[in-house]
Amino acid sequence: MNTKRFMLLFALAAGFILASSPAFAHHSTAEYDMTTLTAVKGTVTQFEWSNPHAYIHVEAKDDKGNVVEWTAEMASIGMLSRVNWKRDTVKPGDEITIYGYRAKNGKTLMRLDKIAFANGQELSARVG
Amino acid sequence: MRNRWKASILGVAALLLVLPAIFGQAANPSKATGAPDLTGVWLIDHFQPALFPKGTTPPFTPWGEAQFKKADTQVNDPNLACLPHGIPRLMFVPLPMEIFQVPDRVLMYQEAGNQLRQIHMNRDHKKDLDPTYNGDSVGKWEGGTLVVDTIGFNDVTWLDHAGLPHTESLHVVERIHRVDHTTLVDDFTIEDPKAYTKPWAASQTYHLKPGWEIAEYVCDNNKYVYHEK
Repeated sequence: MNTKRFMLLFALAAGFILASSPAFAHHSTAEYDMTTLTAVKGTVTQFEWSNPHAYIHVEAKDDKGNVVEWTAEMASIGMLSRVNWKRDTVKPGDEITIYGYRAKNGKTLMRLDKIAFANGQELSARVG
Repeated sequence: MRNRWKASILGVAALLLVLPAIFGQAANPSKATGAPDLTGVWLIDHFQPALFPKGTTPPFTPWGEAQFKKADTQVNDPNLACLPHGIPRLMFVPLPMEIFQVPDRVLMYQEAGNQLRQIHMNRDHKKDLDPTYNGDSVGKWEGGTLVVDTIGFNDVTWLDHAGLPHTESLHVVERIHRVDHTTLVDDFTIEDPKAYTKPWAASQTYHLKPGWEIAEYVCDNNKYVYHEK
């Protein structure tokens, strides 16, 4: 195993361990399937910068080409501010990919882990 | 002339000796009284949504167990309605708190709901307390430990994020101490004979967050968690 591959595996393992014990405000993560990371690419329709949670609303297309509205729940704005989020970090019209843990009840709702901007740059939403 | 110089030097030296005491007292009265210093912004080191993790069983009374079975974190968690967390749950919330020490009180300014928790240092519990979310907290120093005794609760809140119930008979004792400069520990003893057959313990560690300020936190947008879409 070369060093690069080892580092990649190490990073993935570390990421999994970190992701498995997130510290969320207000309510626990019981309603989300915290074992599977889901990625959804789409267009931002609204960014709610609010407490107890901030929300990103994204319009995406499913496998059949139907438009689906996704909601990504985040931590409180105080905690997000401490990890480089701002009220205009994402704006309506932005093309982004949201990565998170989907609601167990099957709704198109997720607990956000990170986003990727159109240029590939990523921003973590972990505040723990 | 020489004596005048000597007097001036002595005067300045005396002033220099006294100044830190004056300003130190103004900045932090507890230091002047020799009390330990717990001031600063603190954040939990890890989130414990359930004080009894899977595989462990709380010492429920039949009533306590029945209440716990009714608890649903997505439906009837009082916090979903933006109600205060209450004690001890407030101390397990993954949001920072700033501790202040002023004469006769230790104050905990919690980012969660921007609540100010008051611990009264030089009085006993008041008689015939009105039941409240955070109860009536009185504290005393035992060496480097702040021992806080709280009673006078209403029965609206949960003890943790998983739904541990309690009644107005809840009694919480906390032993809060600084392990080192950047680490604070709160050891809890929780008893409520109507909900639990015996007292039980919990603990939370906090890390100092230099440079952090408590942010505004108004719980004003719960439509997705409290109201069904």
